[in-house]
Amino acid sequence: MLYRRLAVYLALGAMVAFAIFFGLNVFGLSSLRLDEAQSLFQTNRDVSGILYLVAQDVHVPFYHVLLHYWLLLFGQDIFTARLLSLMFFVGTILMTYVLGAYAFGRRSIGLFAALLVTISPFMNWYGSEARMYTMLAFMASLHLFLFLKSMREPAPKYWILWTIIAILGLYTHYFFVFVLFAELVAAVLLRKQFKHPRPIRSIIIAGAVAGASLVPWVLYVFGLGFASNTQPALTQPSAGDLFDTYAQFIFGFQTSAVNTAIISLWPIAVLLGFFALQRGGKKVPVETAVFVLVATLPVIMAFIISVTIRPFYLSRYLIVSLPALLIFIAWLLTRYRRWVGVTIGSLLVVIIAALFVVQVVNPNTPVKEDYKVAVQYLNENVGVSDVVVLAAPFTVYPVEYYYEADAKLTTQPVWDRFSSGAIPAYDESKVEAETKENVGAYQKAWLVLSYDQGYNEKIKQYYDNHFEKLSEERFSPGLVVYEYKIRYDRPLTLYNQSQ
Amino acid sequence: MEFLRTRETGKVLLALNVILSIVYFLCVVFLFPIGNLPLFIFLVVSEIFHVWQVVTFIHTTWPRRVKHHRFQRNYKPRVAVYITVCGEPAEIVEETVRAAKAMDYPNFSVYILNDGKVANRPNWREAREIAQAHEVMCITRTKPGGAKAGNINHALPLTDEDFVVVFDADHVPSEDFLNKTMGYFADNEVAFVQSPQFYKNAEVNQVAGGSWEQQTLFFGPLLKGKDTVNSTFMCGTNMVIRRTALVEAGGMSEKSIAEDFLTSLLIHSNKWKSVYVSEVLAKGLAPEDFLSYYKQQFRWARGSLELLFSFNPLFRKGLTWAQRMQYLGSASYYLSGFVVLLNASLPLMYFFFALKPLTINTMTLALVFLPYIFVILYTLQLTSNFTYTFRALSFSLGSSTIYMKALWHTIIRKKNSFAVTSKKRLTGTYGRLVTPHIFYIVIVVVGVVWGVLREGWSASMLSNIAWTFIYIAAFVPFIAAAFERAKPARAK
Repeated sequence: MLYRRLAVYLALGAMVAFAIFFGLNVFGLSSLRLDEAQSLFQTNRDVSGILYLVAQDVHVPFYHVLLHYWLLLFGQDIFTARLLSLMFFVGTILMTYVLGAYAFGRRSIGLFAALLVTISPFMNWYGSEARMYTMLAFMASLHLFLFLKSMREPAPKYWILWTIIAILGLYTHYFFVFVLFAELVAAVLLRKQFKHPRPIRSIIIAGAVAGASLVPWVLYVFGLGFASNTQPALTQPSAGDLFDTYAQFIFGFQTSAVNTAIISLWPIAVLLGFFALQRGGKKVPVETAVFVLVATLPVIMAFIISVTIRPFYLSRYLIVSLPALLIFIAWLLTRYRRWVGVTIGSLLVVIIAALFVVQVVNPNTPVKEDYKVAVQYLNENVGVSDVVVLAAPFTVYPVEYYYEADAKLTTQPVWDRFSSGAIPAYDESKVEAETKENVGAYQKAWLVLSYDQGYNEKIKQYYDNHFEKLSEERFSPGLVVYEYKIRYDRPLTLYNQSQ
Repeated sequence: MEFLRTRETGKVLLALNVILSIVYFLCVVFLFPIGNLPLFIFLVVSEIFHVWQVVTFIHTTWPRRVKHHRFQRNYKPRVAVYITVCGEPAEIVEETVRAAKAMDYPNFSVYILNDGKVANRPNWREAREIAQAHEVMCITRTKPGGAKAGNINHALPLTDEDFVVVFDADHVPSEDFLNKTMGYFADNEVAFVQSPQFYKNAEVNQVAGGSWEQQTLFFGPLLKGKDTVNSTFMCGTNMVIRRTALVEAGGMSEKSIAEDFLTSLLIHSNKWKSVYVSEVLAKGLAPEDFLSYYKQQFRWARGSLELLFSFNPLFRKGLTWAQRMQYLGSASYYLSGFVVLLNASLPLMYFFFALKPLTINTMTLALVFLPYIFVILYTLQLTSNFTYTFRALSFSLGSSTIYMKALWHTIIRKKNSFAVTSKKRLTGTYGRLVTPHIFYIVIVVVGVVWGVLREGWSASMLSNIAWTFIYIAAFVPFIAAAFERAKPARAK
């Protein structure tokens, strides 16, 4: 018994060590990404300033405030900021173990699920991103644990904790509401299966308290008149995006060819599902339904709302479903004959590990944003009589983090980010005037295109048609620097200065 | 018995099955853009069939508040126990006779209905010898006709008990068979009581195992559900029939090779009640060789399809709508052979001709299909207490060629004789019976090569390969069973 416990601790320790090693040495050293730059920008001020900026964004402020104090305590650089996410990633690994083992009464399920979380390329990516996503995953797994605890052992202390974590979860990300919704559905559907005498009443009361806690924030956002800004500019998701989400949860961010291959094999899931269910009288524990609901409902709800009302579907927002999904997979493998389960499980680990490596080393990994190298390239090549033009405008955040050259930085469409309000929309009729304004007085223009908002190609075409393109460098998917010759005479002012 | 234990399936889950299958159907028919028209029509036909199957399954397993059948413990009328014999090995018949005689009941006689002579079985005299040895009556037919139904009908006027029990030669009754069934006849409206067929030799080989596992769903949730709408039908053995009801129906019907099924329909048309006792009260033998399995499945399919085409329950007077639906659902199951053929050939059309019934993204199809299929699979397993095995599915899908042949024979009205399922394992293997399945695998391999050379590993190619993989995975155990060599010992 003691040896078993020791073995579990050792295994968990190894997983944590793995996550920390890769977090510190691989992902933590990668380039600052756009969202991270935004995090740093938003948290680099006092709390009221943070709230003011976050209210303009699509998020809620708990993570930002936490990051603010974290950076004050430990240092202001991006590496330190990422350590906070890494801490929550490690917390999610441990919480997944606790949740899986508690739900099914089997340490092996908890351990295997924790292993899947540890090697998940998706979790590792966000485990070293200065954003709230691993914190959200941690909150979701902790909350699910408290939900099961409350349903099995209906004591007030668990409902109080459930409510507190629900409030923190809601202040971490709006999508936490989908976790609450999935738990409510589970409570309604499985009300007779749990020990809890009145699960629906309890969850509605606790949920209402948690929901009410969000009211001050909502009033604050509306009071500032920023509600209209709190919608990301996203496209409507397709069915492929929905399956992509699950493929990303398990296999990480892969190239479109690999992703297509993975998700096109979906009919095999029918076969695996059948095998998992045909286990001579082996009962399906009621907890399974809870995990299925939490693994699917947030994704489905986000998808339906994005298709029918307004698009806000992003796989990282749905990280709330990831721990439940991986625990479900770990349980599913126990439904097969032992050797089949071990074989499929080992195969899964090998494939995920291989794709983890691919995600790390492949320069075409879709989510890679190598602003660090791109800006280093600019630092080395840009002259004082040049100008650097960025599109989309908000990419100014990660670029200026590394930018050390003397040339002017500007954006197209032209954006004064120190004035409040949304970023100006692209207007084709203004391209000529804005380009003239941006580059007219300079020798060369360095056009840095990334985060295409639907007009990058049009801007590039304008530059191609009006200026001589001297070079082109691609740094990561969608991040390209073009060098254009604007004029051949030296600008008068600079010439005079040099005299 | 584990396999008969069913779970109360929630109405919400059952309703969800119907909703999702209809949503899927509507998407296929009206929402998704049509590709190749003939293939689209094939797809729609098969989806109509699938919706029908889901609806009948849900109708069958829907949890209803039913009155329990009246059971009067001290109702002990006289009973004739018929053991139908047609050349089965003596030791098998003897075991059944011995068990029948040992039944704990005050008022019954055992009769061996010997059809061996009319069927030209060399051992037909053995039945007489067994009868003499065990002091039971032996009724030997001398004029052929009507197969097993004819054998029972021949015995009816020669016996005078008010109730008739039928056991196949290999179905050994338990001691309390009569005590647990006869009490239902205290209700004068009950025409017959059916108990499950349990195969005690399921472990012997793949064929026996597969055919047994196919039965579990039927004798578990399906017959239990049918019982709630008075639609249980007789299954040829382990059943008790009221003589008056049987005579009123014209005896066991000789117009079909699935005489039990048709006779049940006729009895129900006459407004009689039926009872299903879900407890195993007799243990029999599953076919142990592939040829016997093949013949048994063919007989059931042919008989059921005959009922569909010649005695369509939809238009039969005297039946309730629930009964019409149940009979129609059971009989139409054997049309699945045609549907499996249609579905299995769709990926081939893509491999060779790049033809698709629908021109949607495969992921959009998955979005609608996966919830539908998973809910169905879960419900299927939940209702059967998670005992419906992949081998059962494999045998059901593999039997599609048998069902196709039965359908064809029914359409051209070809005469098929009643073939008694062999109780003795035949020797040899029967690879020829699975030639279509092997051919399918070969065609798939060629098709994949052809398709990949044409367009590479596209999303559509991969999805179609995955589909064929499912069919191949299902066919492999079926093919293996056909090639399986006999094991020496029969399970006790």
